[in-house]
Amino acid sequence: MGAHLSRRYITERDTEPDPAKKYDFDPLYGFPERKEREMVATQEQMNLARLPLEQRDYCAHYLLKVMKCKRDNWPNLLACSHEKHDWDYCQHEDYVMRMKEYERERRLQLRKKRIEGQAEAA
Amino acid sequence: MRVSFVSQSSQCQEMAGVGFQRWVRTLSKGKISGISGLLPACRSASGVSKDMLPGKYNIRVEDYKPIADNGEGYGDYPQLPDRSQQDRDPAYQWDHPDLRRNWNEPMHWDFDMFIRNRVDTSPTVVPWSTMCKQLFGFVGFMLFMFYLGDKFPAYQPVGPKQFPYNNLHLERGGSPDVEPEEVKNYEI
Repeated sequence: MGAHLSRRYITERDTEPDPAKKYDFDPLYGFPERKEREMVATQEQMNLARLPLEQRDYCAHYLLKVMKCKRDNWPNLLACSHEKHDWDYCQHEDYVMRMKEYERERRLQLRKKRIEGQAEAA
Repeated sequence: MRVSFVSQSSQCQEMAGVGFQRWVRTLSKGKISGISGLLPACRSASGVSKDMLPGKYNIRVEDYKPIADNGEGYGDYPQLPDRSQQDRDPAYQWDHPDLRRNWNEPMHWDFDMFIRNRVDTSPTVVPWSTMCKQLFGFVGFMLFMFYLGDKFPAYQPVGPKQFPYNNLHLERGGSPDVEPEEVKNYEI
């Protein structure tokens, strides 16, 4: 915990990714092929459900199911635990993807620096 | 003593009468505002006699000190120490325990300011300088820590959250006529 902060501010200040800056490596770099993320819920569905902006992510269709289930089973809110779990799991996967993206950016920065260092030494 | 008190007060009224005439005159001439010129006349004429004061204000002669004359008409009213009633001994059997006051006790000119639910002059638990040091030390420390947190923010080691439909171009208020920059998000 916090290792990225000590790298960012103390040990690896030049290569640790800055969340305020855009990641500038090609997302396809190093992949033979890469699957694009699939959005299930349409814009119209999300508008009708009046989702707040921060919930209009790639898990929105699970959230819509949770909301529908809650509406249909009211007042038995415990009936929706499966739907709730699906949504939570999707959000978890989304977060793990963000962690992987961060780590990819960090390693690519390190690699770039290493290659530049070798070029200078040669 | 009683006689001299009475004579003094009548003298005062006299002088006030003179002062009123002076005031009217001053007003008619349009010179300095009259009231400050009017009232000290009473005071200066009173010619405080040490003998008659104890009976007048119920105060010892050696404690008597008139309020400084700044032209606001304090007369010969005594200057009492600026101490609040809250500062007085609560265990003493006061005649009026709520005001912490004995009958016939001389009253401060601003007594209503010093009653127990107004200004309190009793000493603080710690000295003023210590309070200042503690307060500004704490505030300064917090400001410094906020500055530090601003310069070196703490965050989770994750990439930015990804959103569909070109990063919610329309939902975030983008114009439908403008072709947004295409955003592609990939699984990893």
